[in-house]
Parts: sequence; C-alpha cells; structure tokens
Amino acid sequence: MSRVFFILLGTALALNVHARGNAEKGKQKAAQVCAACHGPDGNKPSAPDQPVLAGQYYDYLARALGDYKNGRRNNPIMKGFAGQLTKQDIEDLAAWFSSQTTSALHDQR
Amino acid sequence: MKRLLFLLIGAALAASAFAQDKKPAKKAAAQAEKAADKAPQQLAAASPAIPTENFHAQCIGCHGIPGYKTAFPEVYHVPKIAGQQPGYIIAALKAYKSGERSHPSMRGIAASLNEDQMKALAEYYGAPAK
Repeated sequence: MSRVFFILLGTALALNVHARGNAEKGKQKAAQVCAACHGPDGNKPSAPDQPVLAGQYYDYLARALGDYKNGRRNNPIMKGFAGQLTKQDIEDLAAWFSSQTTSALHDQR
Repeated sequence: MKRLLFLLIGAALAASAFAQDKKPAKKAAAQAEKAADKAPQQLAAASPAIPTENFHAQCIGCHGIPGYKTAFPEVYHVPKIAGQQPGYIIAALKAYKSGERSHPSMRGIAASLNEDQMKALAEYYGAPAK
C-alpha cells in the first residue's frame, strides 16, 4: 500500500519538476501582457523596482505569478495582470522567460 | 523505455525524501519567525559590527548555490538574485520584513535588516557579473 503511494507521489513529483509550459506561446502572451514593463524577453524592466525575469528559474516564476493571482503576493499592478492569466498561460510565460539566456541574472555568489 | 520510467521514479523518490523532511524545517522556521518578531531592533543594533564585505554571507547559503531549492513550505528553486535590479531587491526585502511576502526564512532575515543594510545588499547583488 505505502509502496503504491510512494510510486504515485514519485510520479507526481517527476511530472512537477519538468517545465510544462510552451515557450513559444509564452512569447506571444508576454508580448501582449508583460513586455511593456519587463521588456519582450524579460530583460528590460521599465522602472528600477521591477524585476529582471529573463533567465529566472521556471518554478519560481510560475509560483510568483500564481501568488500574485491568488493574492498571496500583493502588488496592485501585478495582481491586475496575473489575475487574467490561466494556469496554462502562467506555465507558458514561465517557460518563455526562464529560457531566455541573454539575461542580466547570473548564478554567481 | 521501462528502464527510463523506473529511473525517473527513482529520482522522484529521492527528491520526495527531501520534501518529506518538513517537520524540522517547520520547527526551525517557527523559531526563526518568533525570534524575528521579538528582536528586530536588537539584531539591527548588533548588525553594524558585521564587516560590510561579508554582509551577504547570510544570503549565500541559499542564493549562492546554483540550482538550490527551498525545503519549506514548498519545494521550488530559490530565485537568482545576482544581476537583479537593486530597486527590486530592496522592494522584496521590505515586503518580507513587513510580512507582505510570506516566506518564513526570508521574513526572519529581512526583519533583521535596516534600510541601509538592504541598500548595501541590493547594490552588491545588483552589480553586473564579474
């Protein structure tokens, strides 16, 4: 019984770890929703307190968008944008931004 | 194909073993939060004694390891902060300090920082890659 449970849990985790979003669809969505403030590839924030998204981790981006959408993170501008995204949109956008390699973000330190 | 599946399940199980280890983390986080609630002034007063060049030592443990993941409350990659906009780093630290953002470890650490210290960290991490 517990074996079955672990196999199920394991499969669920394995599925979770992989990026499920479609980066091409994310690119299109980003052009409509995100680009004005974050830049088309997430590398050109238009204000100093806005984050670079390009090259950020997939799961962190997806989580941040989810948190804005459900109100766990409380930014009025981001709530407005994330609120209109579906779960699939969020995964696509996370896939797009995380796959941008010419990013200011880096792993050092 | 079948072999691959088993390998995947094996890997996922190894990962889940980590994810399972939540209880101690929860306890530690609760303690950290308690300490942070109780003593922000105390910590801030003690902080200037820390040399500026090592001030980011408290960040390295999580943010300095490529691919490192959180263990609590949910498992996901700790975000990259090197190269991030300084203004955003300050905004994030303030939001953690005020409780507006809710990660327990970050809340504890941010609560111990004053504005000058946040600024110093933001400038350090916001600098371009060497």
